[in-house]
Amino acid sequence: MSDNHTDAVVQLLNVSKGFTRGSQEIPVLTNTTLHIPKGDFVAVMGPSGSGKSTLLNLCAGLDRPTTGKVIVNDQDLGQLSEAGLSRWRSENLGFIFQMFNLMPVLTAQENVELPLMLTPLSRAERRKQAETSLRIVGLADRADHYPRQLSGGQEQRVAIARALANDPVLLLADEPTGNLDATSAQEVLDLLDSLNEQFGTTIIMVTHDPKAARRAKRLLHLEKGTFVQADIDELEHAR
Amino acid sequence: MKFLPMIFRNVFRNKIRSLFTAASIAVSLFLVVTLYSLITAQEESTDANSQANRVAVLHEAGLAGNLPISYVNRISRVPGVIHTIPMSWFGGNYREETTQFPQFATDAKELFNVYPELTIPADELEAWQNDKTGCVVGALIARNKGWKIGSKIPLQGNIYPANLELTVRGIYDGPPTMDRGWVLFHFDYFDESLKKLNYPNSGNAGLVMIRAESAAKMPEVMQAITAAFESSDAPVKPMTEKDFAASFMEMMGNVRGFIRMTSTAVVLALLCVAANTMAMSVRERTREIALLKAIGFNQSTILGMFLAESVTIGVLGGILGALGAKLLFYSVDLSSIDAGLGMFYIPWRTALWGLALAAVVGLLSGLIPAWRAAHVSVIEGLRKVV
Repeated sequence: MSDNHTDAVVQLLNVSKGFTRGSQEIPVLTNTTLHIPKGDFVAVMGPSGSGKSTLLNLCAGLDRPTTGKVIVNDQDLGQLSEAGLSRWRSENLGFIFQMFNLMPVLTAQENVELPLMLTPLSRAERRKQAETSLRIVGLADRADHYPRQLSGGQEQRVAIARALANDPVLLLADEPTGNLDATSAQEVLDLLDSLNEQFGTTIIMVTHDPKAARRAKRLLHLEKGTFVQADIDELEHAR
Repeated sequence: MKFLPMIFRNVFRNKIRSLFTAASIAVSLFLVVTLYSLITAQEESTDANSQANRVAVLHEAGLAGNLPISYVNRISRVPGVIHTIPMSWFGGNYREETTQFPQFATDAKELFNVYPELTIPADELEAWQNDKTGCVVGALIARNKGWKIGSKIPLQGNIYPANLELTVRGIYDGPPTMDRGWVLFHFDYFDESLKKLNYPNSGNAGLVMIRAESAAKMPEVMQAITAAFESSDAPVKPMTEKDFAASFMEMMGNVRGFIRMTSTAVVLALLCVAANTMAMSVRERTREIALLKAIGFNQSTILGMFLAESVTIGVLGGILGALGAKLLFYSVDLSSIDAGLGMFYIPWRTALWGLALAAVVGLLSGLIPAWRAAHVSVIEGLRKVV
């Protein structure tokens, strides 16, 4: 974990998160502290139930910690109301999901425009920005296609374009290659790589795939709610 | 406004379901608007006709009583009264038909002065006035029965023992608010037919219709008429034409109450159907809603989007049902089925009220599903995705 925290985009300070099931308290993250500097590309691995998704939810402000603080881009998320968090997410975050989650009734272009609809941009400006995002992911020629007319890899690239459209400070990717064949997965990882390298976009990627994790600059391994040291070769061998 | 394209596409993403929902709203609103028009068309008609300042003078006992024909002259001398006619409902059967249409014995010279909205060519009016067994018929009933100038109309008495042999001498017309389904003939011919049979009730009119000088004079005229016959054997009860029409509606029982009750039941059933459709739509799109919330759409935006969807379906049903009813009754000639139906129409205000009702149904049916959509948990909606 980085020791220089002045340029940290994401800071988790003594964060604990648990869930109550009946009368039982189930800890998911335990007193976790994490600093992710600007421009970092972090892969988060760990077995199911280790707290990976909870970590992403906390970084996205979709969930609140039981104790501790989550600070993203100098904003303490605990200080924001639900409406404030919605606005903050639209201005600061980009999401990439395993299932792509594109709107089936919208074209690729319109899907990419979706987060921009919450901004004061004019229709022409939204259109231009969406075109730029689609060009970055290499799908400018598919702008008018609906999700059902695209392959899985293309759908995920549209989802990445959507995540980029509002020029986010932080890109959160949850198993972005989990639903793709090897070739498409490779293309998506190449794309994430180049976004990180060329545009300095900070990325946190949850993955079960050591090959995907290798593309990140850093690997964080979660075990029972705490970060542990792990070697990616060992992880790959363990699979 | 920028969300409208997405809203419209979501409305039609499941075309069959949306169209069935809109169709159920349309059918129900067609029924509600048609039922309500029975009241509003009548109101609109009497409002329009009240411009003519007419007063119906009836026996104090109502339509069951008769007024001596001499009352017509006496009433015409009351200050403020400018025209007077007797009107007696004959109620005869035309050939083998059992359904009766309005047949009135009246004064051919004064009728078109009391009803100035009605129009008739001068030569036809003159021909009627000069033929004791002649009659004039409304344009709608003439078309319905295929009557032309010179057609014979035999009427077999039902209420009265007399049979009448009428000849069509003229066809009158008028605005849609006026009944153009009447057969009007000479009171003298009617009365003489009764006298020939020594019918004891001859020499009487069912009512006397008058036209007052002005609307302002009507209360005064009505008071004077009541006072003039107060101590006679046949005291009278004058009513404005509007009240007279309302008394007919009352005779039919609590029609308004029945229509309101039926309409309320229809609207409530409709609410359940539309709400179920919206609830299904929300359930199917939980993941999409969660995504929208994840990328920054707030609760009120999502609530508004879903409400707009359900209002759109409602308005679509309203256009098909309420405005469709207006168009249908406008373009289909109901008088060809029955001359009495010729007066029926859907007033614009009722059609637009139906459209507004459809929008309200859409809004109310969408409230709970939209609220649920706005409160979808992002984490659960996306499951383990984020």
